[in-house]
Amino acid sequence: MKIMLNYIHRFIFFVTLITLSLSSNSIEVIEILGGKASQIPIAITPFNEEIRTMGQVPDKKNAFREKMHKVIANDLERSGLFTSLDTSGISTIPDSDILINFSNWSALQAQFLVVGKIITIQNRLITRWSLIDIYKEKTVLSMEFSGSKKQYRGIAHKISDLIYKKLTGSPGVFHTRIAFVKKKSEKIYGLYVADYDGFNQRVIVNSSQPILSARWSPDGKKIAYVSFEKKKPVIYVQNLTTGKRVLVANFKGNNSAPAWSPDSKKLAIVLTYSANSQIYIINSDGSGIKQLMRTRSINTEPAWSPDGKEIFFSSDRGGNPQIYKVNVDGVSDVNRVTFEGKSNLSPSLSPDGKLLLFLTQDNGKFRVAIQNLLSNQVLKLTKGPHDESPVFSPNGHMVLFTYKDYGKTTKIGTVSINGLKVTPLRVGSEAIQESSWGPITSN
Amino acid sequence: MKKSLLLVALMTSMVAGCSSTDIKDSMGLNAPFPELTSQTAELSPAAMDELASNPLLSERSVYFKFNSYDVESQYSNMLAAHAEFISKHNVAVAINGNADFRGSHEYNLSLGQKRSVSVSDSLSGLGIGSNNVETVSYGEENANQECTGSACDQDRRADIVYVGE
Amino acid sequence: MKIILKLQDNYELQANLFSFVIHFGLFIFMLVSIQWQMKDVYYSEVELWDAMPMQVKSQPVTNKKKSADIKKLTPKAIEKQKQLKINEDAEIKLKKKRKAEKKAKIKRVQKQALKQEKIEQLQKKLLEQEKIEQLQKKLLEQEKIDTLKESILDQDVKKNARIAVEADQELFAGSNTGELNKFKAMIQQKIYQNVNKQLCGLDLVELEFEIQLMPTGELLGDPKLMQSSKIESCDQALERAILQSQPLPVPKDAKLFSKLKNLKLKFSPNAYTE
Repeated sequence: MKIMLNYIHRFIFFVTLITLSLSSNSIEVIEILGGKASQIPIAITPFNEEIRTMGQVPDKKNAFREKMHKVIANDLERSGLFTSLDTSGISTIPDSDILINFSNWSALQAQFLVVGKIITIQNRLITRWSLIDIYKEKTVLSMEFSGSKKQYRGIAHKISDLIYKKLTGSPGVFHTRIAFVKKKSEKIYGLYVADYDGFNQRVIVNSSQPILSARWSPDGKKIAYVSFEKKKPVIYVQNLTTGKRVLVANFKGNNSAPAWSPDSKKLAIVLTYSANSQIYIINSDGSGIKQLMRTRSINTEPAWSPDGKEIFFSSDRGGNPQIYKVNVDGVSDVNRVTFEGKSNLSPSLSPDGKLLLFLTQDNGKFRVAIQNLLSNQVLKLTKGPHDESPVFSPNGHMVLFTYKDYGKTTKIGTVSINGLKVTPLRVGSEAIQESSWGPITSN
Repeated sequence: MKKSLLLVALMTSMVAGCSSTDIKDSMGLNAPFPELTSQTAELSPAAMDELASNPLLSERSVYFKFNSYDVESQYSNMLAAHAEFISKHNVAVAINGNADFRGSHEYNLSLGQKRSVSVSDSLSGLGIGSNNVETVSYGEENANQECTGSACDQDRRADIVYVGE
Repeated sequence: MKIILKLQDNYELQANLFSFVIHFGLFIFMLVSIQWQMKDVYYSEVELWDAMPMQVKSQPVTNKKKSADIKKLTPKAIEKQKQLKINEDAEIKLKKKRKAEKKAKIKRVQKQALKQEKIEQLQKKLLEQEKIEQLQKKLLEQEKIDTLKESILDQDVKKNARIAVEADQELFAGSNTGELNKFKAMIQQKIYQNVNKQLCGLDLVELEFEIQLMPTGELLGDPKLMQSSKIESCDQALERAILQSQPLPVPKDAKLFSKLKNLKLKFSPNAYTE
């Protein structure tokens, strides 16, 4: 046995010696550290339209063809992960994944191609589309959808979602909705709900008094908001389907800053019952109030962590407002979370709980920022000077926020979390105050 | 059509909200504004005259520095006059706190509240109890959203408002 | 004496006695050897099952005949004994057979082991020889280099010699130097430009690909993913980065290119490079 081992050892030794000296057999290693925050170039071609209704004259402007590919291109661009290539100069646009000239598209620097065909029959649209990988020269996705003409935006958003999910691994949010408050005048306020890109807006609350802190419930069924209609701030929860609402908090003093627990069953709210703003937790129907903690300082703007265990909030206990966190059971210590910047306000958490989104005051300007909660690195996403109300999209890849220049009206827009893409939302010329982003819905 | 229906629905729900308290108020906190306790008196015409004639009493606002809620000494005389008036007539007063538009709406609501509480504390120091004083905040909701520079200063204030004025 | 004489004469008796002795001996043998054959009892049991049915098949025929013949005369006990004997015989025969097989097997294995040993010895000899040759080669090279160095007196000549020496070292020793590293850096830089780390999340993930290059700088086949980042979109993005970087900068010199035609690419897209 020992002799065997001896032989084995010597054998291995000689083998390694040979391998080392015969370097032409070894494989070279190249290490590539880091990378670029770049965008995937994708060519989204206008979908060919075919009208199959007798006697119907094709719209010269090719209505749906123009509209659909624009919706998809805008969606993907807005996310900050894609650049949509200009295909207007191309003479023959394919409408299916057959006979694709890959070298042509590759020459345009396109990594992916979206082609499609729309067939209109009466009031229906049938959309057949494909997503093609130019490098690998193969079709990645190929589907067909049908819907009414009115639903063309919804169909386009669905296509965007599927492309997004396929290429990034994360669910798309292009089918989701947002809420915001419009101040039409000193005496006219409206709480609106719209598609995430600002289209199809409709008002759900009209008031002559301010509306604040609109917050979409995580289950997507209700919106909580603060209303001054009783001449003081009180909190309502309104059902989006029925339009009915319940007054959940009208305690002595101010009632504000409603924040839904991740399971939509509770609300963290802020009351000034005991003089200064303090955080309480109540059931979403208004019952069972419990104080989270009490100090002599301001404690406001509660935000739940996605696991429902912690609440982040802003407080001026250290002088200027900073962001802190505490366990929901209230037993643990309060820990400070933000250390950079003069003031830090309006905390909220990304869906995976890894990023903190907030407002930071930097040289007198209010800017939207994110902080990696593990590394504590801070990235400022916007320039200011008066950015406010930042909220994450439900996949954590975009942020909805309001912004204004000195002396101008407030607008609403999105920024991608790499900070690269800021895109406004066209919702009208009135001032937009508060924003909230509804959840991903499965359909 | 939809809008008016909504308004009607709104109004009916509001009425419903007013008539029944949806909150099971185990802490006994709920007390609608601006109803202060019946232990205060209403503003009599004589008192109103006094309010109008006294120059110190016509000063109603305390102004604050940015992000601050400290009541500066320049307001001592004014507050003393109000304290005297309140205690003399046993009237109810609301202190409305405000902030300029910079920063978030919610934080400014809290800041306005803190300013209101500051003034209330000053009055308390002058012998005025919480029976007579209600602290309210409007945050930045009454502020000029488009002010620049020093034009924003006037939004950082607490106003003394007598109930019944 | 009589018995013995009788034995010598009577061959039949001899045979019978002999047979008896053998049977007895084997019987003892069987008893004695049962200890170590315990393990094999299973085997033998199994094999007997195999054997039994066959015997059973053939037996009914003979049994019937026998019983037909000796029906009235022989009791069942004798029949059974006869059967037992037959079984015993078979058993012993099998055991003999298997013993022989085992012996043969052991012999074979031993033979193989010997062979293996011989082969290994040979290999070892060969390797030793090779090693010696290699060392000799190296010594020769070193000598060559040394003599080159020694023959230098002038500063300029020294410079030239150094270059010559390095070139020689590159050619003979085949080690990494300037040229190779230069191309590696160029390849690294080109691919880096195309790495889209946005699809790789926030954590420090690592990936490994193996690629084969053609002299044109293009890839032969697809990049092979050897270590995944566990994020599908990240794996795909880096594969695209490699494909997008074609044609990769490769040396024209065939020997240098041969060192680069198989590459292992290691990525760490979220590493901080500043």
